[in-house]
Amino acid sequence: MYYAELLLVGLIWGCTYAMMALGLTLVYGLLRILHVAQATVFTLGAYIGLLAANYSGSLAVAFIAGAIAAGALGPLIYRFVYQPILDRPPFVALVASIGVLIAMEDGFRLLFGPYGLSFEHNTWFTTTYSFAGMTMNLVQIWMVVTAVVLLSAFAIFATRTRAGVAWRATVSDPPMAESFGISVSGVRYVNFLIASVLAGIAGVLVGLLNNLVEPGMGSVIAYKGLAIIVLGGLGSVPGTLVASLALGVVESYGTVFLDKVLDRDAIAFLFLIVVLMIRPQGLLGRR
Amino acid sequence: MTLLEGRNLSIAFGGVHAVENVSLAVAKGELLGLIGPNGAGKTTLLRLLTGILPPDTGHVFFEGRDITRMPIHRRAQLGFALTHQIVRPFREMTLAENVMMAAAGEVTVRPWKALVAVNARRERERALGLLERLGIADGADKLARNVPLGYLKRMQAARALALNPRLLMLDEPLAGLNAAEATRLADLIVDLNAGGITIVLVEHNLGEVTRIARRLLVLHNGALLGEGEPRAVMARADVRDAYLGADVHA
Amino acid sequence: MDYYVSVATFAALNVILALGLNLISGFCGQVSLGHAAFYGLGAYAAALCSVAGVPFPLAILVGVLVAGIFGIVVGFAALRVREDFLAIVTMGVGFLFLGAVRKQPWLGAEMGIAKIPSPLDKWGYAALAIGAAVALVVLSLHVRRSWMGRAFGAVAQDEDAARTIGIDVAGYKITAFFLGTAAAGLAGGIYAHMTQLIIPDTFNFIQSITILAMVVIGGIGSTIGVVAGAILLTLMPELFRFINDYKLLVYGALLLLVMRFSPGGLAGLLQRLGLRLA
Repeated sequence: MYYAELLLVGLIWGCTYAMMALGLTLVYGLLRILHVAQATVFTLGAYIGLLAANYSGSLAVAFIAGAIAAGALGPLIYRFVYQPILDRPPFVALVASIGVLIAMEDGFRLLFGPYGLSFEHNTWFTTTYSFAGMTMNLVQIWMVVTAVVLLSAFAIFATRTRAGVAWRATVSDPPMAESFGISVSGVRYVNFLIASVLAGIAGVLVGLLNNLVEPGMGSVIAYKGLAIIVLGGLGSVPGTLVASLALGVVESYGTVFLDKVLDRDAIAFLFLIVVLMIRPQGLLGRR
Repeated sequence: MTLLEGRNLSIAFGGVHAVENVSLAVAKGELLGLIGPNGAGKTTLLRLLTGILPPDTGHVFFEGRDITRMPIHRRAQLGFALTHQIVRPFREMTLAENVMMAAAGEVTVRPWKALVAVNARRERERALGLLERLGIADGADKLARNVPLGYLKRMQAARALALNPRLLMLDEPLAGLNAAEATRLADLIVDLNAGGITIVLVEHNLGEVTRIARRLLVLHNGALLGEGEPRAVMARADVRDAYLGADVHA
Repeated sequence: MDYYVSVATFAALNVILALGLNLISGFCGQVSLGHAAFYGLGAYAAALCSVAGVPFPLAILVGVLVAGIFGIVVGFAALRVREDFLAIVTMGVGFLFLGAVRKQPWLGAEMGIAKIPSPLDKWGYAALAIGAAVALVVLSLHVRRSWMGRAFGAVAQDEDAARTIGIDVAGYKITAFFLGTAAAGLAGGIYAHMTQLIIPDTFNFIQSITILAMVVIGGIGSTIGVVAGAILLTLMPELFRFINDYKLLVYGALLLLVMRFSPGGLAGLLQRLGLRLA
């Protein structure tokens, strides 16, 4: 039973990683940018969600506020950080992105204080359910539900709607899409919007799960998000989802079995490195 | 005597056979043209021969030695040089520096040897000589990113020559050049061949290729369609059909 | 006076770290986000040796070699992944180093290694660090002028083209990793003996980014620019209290501004004004 519980915990984290990594894959697929600054979007979502929850007393309001704040910040980062340097080598955008990330870590510290904030009425955190000998709280259940709903919605958008088809066409061949009258620039904004909203909601969820929102909460999850898109194989959406869940589960078991030798982050990156040495193209990537 | 041989080379991309069971031999001293309509697999075959792509099946031999899995830089050190269809200059170097890099093979062969070598006069003289020979000496000290395509195409040929190659594989060296430049480069190719370098040429410019090549190989749908003396090959009905068919569908 | 001596020593150590990364990223074009791991490897290896009674010069040498050998291993790993992903893999190496050290009792885990024997006084370390930094500046300038530097440039600009003209791309990448990480190991060995106490957190991701910031702000690829960047970023927090409290904010903003307006860093800026730095 213990092992089943570990599997479950791993999958729950995997869902959170997926919400983060999907956005990173979308950005990488379209612009070849490793969008580390997504961590900033995630953290902003969490802070705004927390402030909204504590002010209004409603978690629903928290998610809406977090999603809106994150959804605004992502496209702004694109407009003011990436767009002016798109024609430079990928290294330039990566370093600029790291700049945003570390600057904003201190920025959040200045704005919201260094010690982190907690939810005043985190009812999801205190509501627990037991079944088959396993205990979960409501945040964990919502994490899974939200990830499944949002990722399914994304899949329907990408495959069944005109906008989604236009978006995919742009990802695979921008000049061709442009000749069909698709606004490439519009697609990029939509891309950052989707990625950021997902990250913002994930931020609120992780804030609820830890019952703590702090300036550095986004960095490690963003680094792991990058590891996941590499693991999944480069702009491959199914690969990203598989890699997210796999990483969650590997971490979950690893922290138990490798506790004496490695910490959680090291396990995640060891997994990345081992997989890449065996399959340089990633789990589901093609050569 | 055979210098380069490909035996039963095949490769497929996602189920499509780009090159299927092609065998060919290039004799020492030959000037061989490799032609075929768009999508026939010419560039893919060249990549299999040069090692840019590993074949799914089959082998490549250079002077009787199996080099199928040999890294590209080792092949270059053996005297097996190539140029890319799309020019690949070192963009932040001058044209002379680009060619010097290739001329310095003896020095750069081991990193530690390269660390103690600073002098570049010999390489520079050689590079300037080659640029002169290709008619682009006036661009020697311009950055590669600032010169027109015609210069880069010829610089690339100079860079390959700086390796002192015994075998030179040229992927569409005339594309992007105007008629006068193309004729001049084609004549140079003949000169080089007369000087002892074996040359394999993939080329779309059929006029020039039938003029200078002594033997043609025709590729169609990833397989060899025919080979022989240029005029005879071009007169064959199936070769004409392959080209015309491709043009009709294109 | 002591204060100035110690600031100068730290500036020299940062110069060594930044020039090492510049060899890898600036000269050979291989992005590394895990340079602090090699700084840490050198520090831990040298510290363990000294604690075990190995003479100081030998301990330093062991630190250099351990870092350099791990650098070669990472260099081999780097050959297997595409360019974009190298940044992520090297970042992973940093986390792996940190996560492994934190869990090893024989490395002191979170508490690190204390009471490392210190054979020199403040002035001695300053002389050693500055001497090593100067030696590395000379080496960097020489590499740039040599055929090794030219070959690094070819690898950085177009790997495939470099291969077709007979350059052993793998060999040069591994050489760059070895030289750059060995330099970091040297800085680590000196640091460990000077402070007599090392903890894992000194060698974290932020440290890697700080070293990267020195390289990028100074001007990636330019030896003199990188030296200036390292010294500048060492002095800034000492001179301004606010910068010390919000280091990340300042470094991050500088990284962003440099990438946006002058990707060549300080050296690029001066070049545009007509001054060419080596």
